Amino acid sequence: MNAENKTSFRKKVKNTDKKVRWLITIGGYTIIVNIVAIMLFLLYQSLPLSLGATIEKWFSVPSSNNAAKVLVTGIDPYLEVFYEIDAQGDVRYYSTVSKKKIGENKIALNGAEQFLSGAKGSLQKEIFTLGSDSGRIVTGLITMAATYSSQGRSISPSLEIIEDWQVPATNDSIPNHIEKISLSQNEDESRVWAWQDHSGDVQLRIYDADMDEEYNYNLSSDLKGENVTALTLSANAENLVVAGQTGRVYWFDLSDFEDITLKDEFQATSLVSSINYLLGDQAIVLGGTDGSVSTWFPVRTPANLFKFRKVHTFTAHAFPVINIFVSGRNRNFLTIDKKGNAKLHYSTTGQTQIEFRPADFPILSGTFAPKSNAIIVIDAQNKFGLFKLENPHPETDLTSLFTPVWYEGYPDAEFVWQSTGGSDEFEPKLSLIPLIFGTFKGTLFAMIFSIPLALLAAIYVSRFAPPNLARQIKPTVEIMAALPSVVIGFLAGLYFSPFFEKYLMVIILFVLVLPLIFLSIMYLLQRIPDNWKSKLPPGVEILFSIPIGLITLLIAIVFAPAFEKLFFEGNFQQWLYHVLHITYETRNSLVVGFALGFAVIPIIFTVSEDALTNVPESLTSASLALGASPWQTVRRVVLPAASGGIFAAIMLGLGRAVGETMIVLMATGNTPILDLNPFNGFRAMSACIAVEIPEAPVGGTLYRVLFLTGLLLFIFTFILNTLSSLVGDRLRKKYARF
Amino acid sequence: MSENKKNETVVIETNALDFYYNPQTQALKNVNIIIPEKMVTAFIGPSGCGKSTLLRCFNRMNDLIQGSFIKGNIRIHGKDIYKRDVQLEDLRKSVGMVFQKSNPFPMSIWENVAFGPQVNGITNKAELNNIVESALVQGDLWREVKDRLHNSALDLSGGQQQRLCIARTLANKPDIILMDEPASALDPISTGKIEETIEELKKEYTIVIVTHNMQQAARISDYTAFMMLGELIERDETKKVFTNPTEKLTEDYITGRFG
Repeated sequence: MNAENKTSFRKKVKNTDKKVRWLITIGGYTIIVNIVAIMLFLLYQSLPLSLGATIEKWFSVPSSNNAAKVLVTGIDPYLEVFYEIDAQGDVRYYSTVSKKKIGENKIALNGAEQFLSGAKGSLQKEIFTLGSDSGRIVTGLITMAATYSSQGRSISPSLEIIEDWQVPATNDSIPNHIEKISLSQNEDESRVWAWQDHSGDVQLRIYDADMDEEYNYNLSSDLKGENVTALTLSANAENLVVAGQTGRVYWFDLSDFEDITLKDEFQATSLVSSINYLLGDQAIVLGGTDGSVSTWFPVRTPANLFKFRKVHTFTAHAFPVINIFVSGRNRNFLTIDKKGNAKLHYSTTGQTQIEFRPADFPILSGTFAPKSNAIIVIDAQNKFGLFKLENPHPETDLTSLFTPVWYEGYPDAEFVWQSTGGSDEFEPKLSLIPLIFGTFKGTLFAMIFSIPLALLAAIYVSRFAPPNLARQIKPTVEIMAALPSVVIGFLAGLYFSPFFEKYLMVIILFVLVLPLIFLSIMYLLQRIPDNWKSKLPPGVEILFSIPIGLITLLIAIVFAPAFEKLFFEGNFQQWLYHVLHITYETRNSLVVGFALGFAVIPIIFTVSEDALTNVPESLTSASLALGASPWQTVRRVVLPAASGGIFAAIMLGLGRAVGETMIVLMATGNTPILDLNPFNGFRAMSACIAVEIPEAPVGGTLYRVLFLTGLLLFIFTFILNTLSSLVGDRLRKKYARF
Repeated sequence: MSENKKNETVVIETNALDFYYNPQTQALKNVNIIIPEKMVTAFIGPSGCGKSTLLRCFNRMNDLIQGSFIKGNIRIHGKDIYKRDVQLEDLRKSVGMVFQKSNPFPMSIWENVAFGPQVNGITNKAELNNIVESALVQGDLWREVKDRLHNSALDLSGGQQQRLCIARTLANKPDIILMDEPASALDPISTGKIEETIEELKKEYTIVIVTHNMQQAARISDYTAFMMLGELIERDETKKVFTNPTEKLTEDYITGRFG
């Protein structure tokens, strides 16, 4: 090689070095960037949960009605057409685009007759009822038919009178004045009207669509003649709640149309000026004459009766609450006081989200849009105010995710995860605590099972096993790590857990007896003359342990029934239930601990075995040369020196257990309960994401909460891994400077 | 081959000792040697001659090597140490060992010295303190470390670490101290200190030292054994071995013709 060749060769080598260094640097940074990007993405997906509601004024426009009081308003789901119905029976339709009247209908009145009251009968349909001063109750439906043409969508509203009914004359000579009215049409199209007439009587009329029958009731005797200040029907037409002038509230059960019963009555905390049922037909909102706003719902008492309890108190108004509008989509409701101040509340969280003033004058009527994306009100000057409402995730905030929440129908505030229910009216219960608890419960049981086994195995293999055996054990255990977790989960969930349940007593007995037998055999071994022992090849104790295990198993099988009879009244599961009030579930935490331990053992074993083997021989020789026994050497020299690696191993195992999905998904019942009982299941965060993300609407609250769960998991594993390397480093610095 | 000329007490005596790392590899061949009490015996010889192996037979450290075995026997105070009823822990407590590379435990100085007594059952703190102090004094380290007994032993210099290892061995109050090239990794000043320590120790202990350094052997030992290829070639008073060796091989080695 001449000089020139040599320089060009050196140059080439240098160039390659440079390129490779660049490539490696880029690779390293890409990983960091990726991790940060994943975290930012999770954050980006879950951050909108913390965004509050916004209400934005859309527009306001005067009604073309100049004098008559507006009783009912509404808007179509696409926010294109809104309407008003006034005391004269005039129905007018307006466009939100042109902001002009686009049509009208007329509900016929007799002479000087006027409508006194009006109400809507459904949160989904524009069904309404009007009560007149001559005892007429007119019920109608406004249909907003959407037609699609080349110009796009157009909404053509139309009015259909469903029923025009005359309340039978009372015995006094005055015609019936329908002063307050409420209507509910349920899914069967059965309808219930409740109204109060000028004499103060509360009457009820029911049309049973199934039977095509009508029922009429006068509830005055139940109300003890009290003057009624507000009444409301639940959307399923099964409940009527009436508030009297003394603040007494009466709850009627209408579920049996033929037999109306007064189910409960209670004293509200203030005089009630308005009342409305929330979505879900459970909770009612009471607006007080003192401006107070509270929600109440029936809670099961120890006597197994349902009694209304006050659950949430919201920011109060300064003036009497006269209107309560409820959303047809969620637990949002809007309260409006006498002076026209409005407050938007959310029932589940007990939060008052927004306070605003929709109009300069008191509000006569209003409603949420069908999709709850707008609010329409009309004031005393017959001026419409339309507001766009943006409230994507009212069900959750940091408090409701991490503190107990009092959900409808529950006896008290609890941590509950139940993201979906049978109906659209379901109240989502999204507490992360049961999931976090589940993750740590599973991890705990996995660790109880795997840490001792993996560490003892690692100590045995690295320090005691004959080298030939050690060479075989290590790769075998490492193969365990290659076992897909879905296979472990499958075996645990479908095969092992029923097996475990069937032979529970045998297994318990086996676990109890095995250490005893081993200890006694070890004691006996020490008695065996040394020259006998020395004839056996080293490592042979492994061969002995297998038959010992089998014999123990046999003992366990033989004695299990007697054992169960003696201590557990013949049936362990029943004994658990009777004596400890613990239920036994087939897919329980012990099974998961075992299965998850299977996944974790190889990690802990491999890493700690490496750490133990890496303790230099000079240290062990020094210890042995000082007269320390092999076990003293391991305990006093090897374990401290390897402690950094062992700690890292445990942390890595912990990280694996926290993040493991398939095993906990398949081998637990996925029951999100807060209970440390080892004989029932749990729901881990990872499994919950896997189970629920396919069903979560993109961008919805559940979707974002699941992303938040993912973020939490990420943070947990991040903390564990960081802790593992920080503490591991410190221990290594302290003990492993060799 | 070698016999005790003066009337000294024999502490270690081997009889037709063969040592095999495995059936194919024989490391010691028919070694017969005596080690007298409270003397320094040095083993010299070229690399791989078996001097360290012989040393490690005396406290059975070779047992750690899988597949190794011996033939013949070794008696310490007349007792065959390879007999079945010998407790290894007791043997190693009374036959201490200092290794070529200093190997303090990653613990404090105090813990290092107290390790031997502790694993041999002494738990009384005051007693341990006394043992630690006297061992460090004997190991000529007390003055340097007495104020920092609870600092990490790994913060000491190389020479100090080796003297700590000697003190650690002394804490067990052994009869015999085996030293496997204790100064080979140290600078001349540290080596000098170690040699001074050995001079002091031989008043109380029987010392067997393996060394590569023939000057060292000449300086500190009373008897010198020359080994080659697993055989003991010559063992005699150091003066005699270095000035008038019986064997030609010994002379060649000492005069630097090989090795």
